Amino acid sequence: MKTLTIICQTMILYGLYMTGEFVQSMLQLSIPGSIIGMLLLFTLLHFKWFQPKWIETGSHFLIKHMPLLFIPATVGAMDYLSLFQKHPASIGVVLISTFIVMILSSVISQKLNNKKTHESLSDGKQEMSI
Amino acid sequence: MNFLSALLFICLTILVYAAMIRVYKRFPSPILVPIATSTLVMISILLFSHYSYDDYMRGGSWLSTLLGPAVVALAYPLYQHRKTLRSFFVSILTSVLAGTTAGLISGIYLAWWCGLDEKIILSLAPKSVTSPVAMSISSLNGGIPALAAVYVMVAGISGAVFGPILLKKLNITNSIAIGIGLGTASHGIGTSKASEYGELESAISSIAMTLSAIFTSLLCPFFLHFLF
Repeated sequence: MKTLTIICQTMILYGLYMTGEFVQSMLQLSIPGSIIGMLLLFTLLHFKWFQPKWIETGSHFLIKHMPLLFIPATVGAMDYLSLFQKHPASIGVVLISTFIVMILSSVISQKLNNKKTHESLSDGKQEMSI
Repeated sequence: MNFLSALLFICLTILVYAAMIRVYKRFPSPILVPIATSTLVMISILLFSHYSYDDYMRGGSWLSTLLGPAVVALAYPLYQHRKTLRSFFVSILTSVLAGTTAGLISGIYLAWWCGLDEKIILSLAPKSVTSPVAMSISSLNGGIPALAAVYVMVAGISGAVFGPILLKKLNITNSIAIGIGLGTASHGIGTSKASEYGELESAISSIAMTLSAIFTSLLCPFFLHFLF
């Protein structure tokens, strides 16, 4: 029964994804179809045109196993092994730059949030505390 | 026959992934994240058995197809955490924009400074965004889409492997900041790592990944323009 629910709900999510792809190609947007589909589902849920329970089980399942879905793409690196030997510096650049992004964005975010949580607590707004 | 080998590759991928999850549960070291170890094991199997990537993708593409609906599914945790999203909207926007800009500048200029080929610079510039977006950004700017996808994977896996160590060293304990860091630097792979921390982290990470994709598609041509 649960398997059937997951299959049906995944098909609903797939339909939303295809809608997103369709919108993307019709309007020639630079945002990918999957993200348009996500914004569409969020809008539908927000305006209560869509019941959360219609996609709840399927969403949990897909998000939980997302790393598995990435493996076919990551295995694609096998065709570029010689390139890594020829230009090892490019890998180093990507690593350093990735760490810079992670450090900067998380530190700024924590600084801003601490201030905000602090302010909201002193204002006595309980719902903003995390 | 084709169908059978496709099915075989799907089952093999799932089996390897399930085994690597067990390894990770037994030895929860960041270097052993299932996505990294599964990729290494799958590449080794294919190289030793002399199968090409195209052979593998006859089955693998079925799994990749599910990435689309999986990204759509991220709307659900986003919806559940909409109150947090609303109250931290400005802080989220600011930190993702800062991270994206720093990523583009450091990636492009470090690569230029190392004397790398123009084609390689153009392909690695959009490394921090999810692969379908990175591929279209690099082809719009004159890079090689397949190569862009490889650098996206390097950014994703390195973020999932070393991200938690960095966050711990920097004493980042705020759930939102953890999600922002992983999502901005390592897109979907970072988001799946964030889901190990909790639902809020993965929801924020998916927001960060979405915003970073939008910012990068707008800013990338701008920064490349200065160089070429």
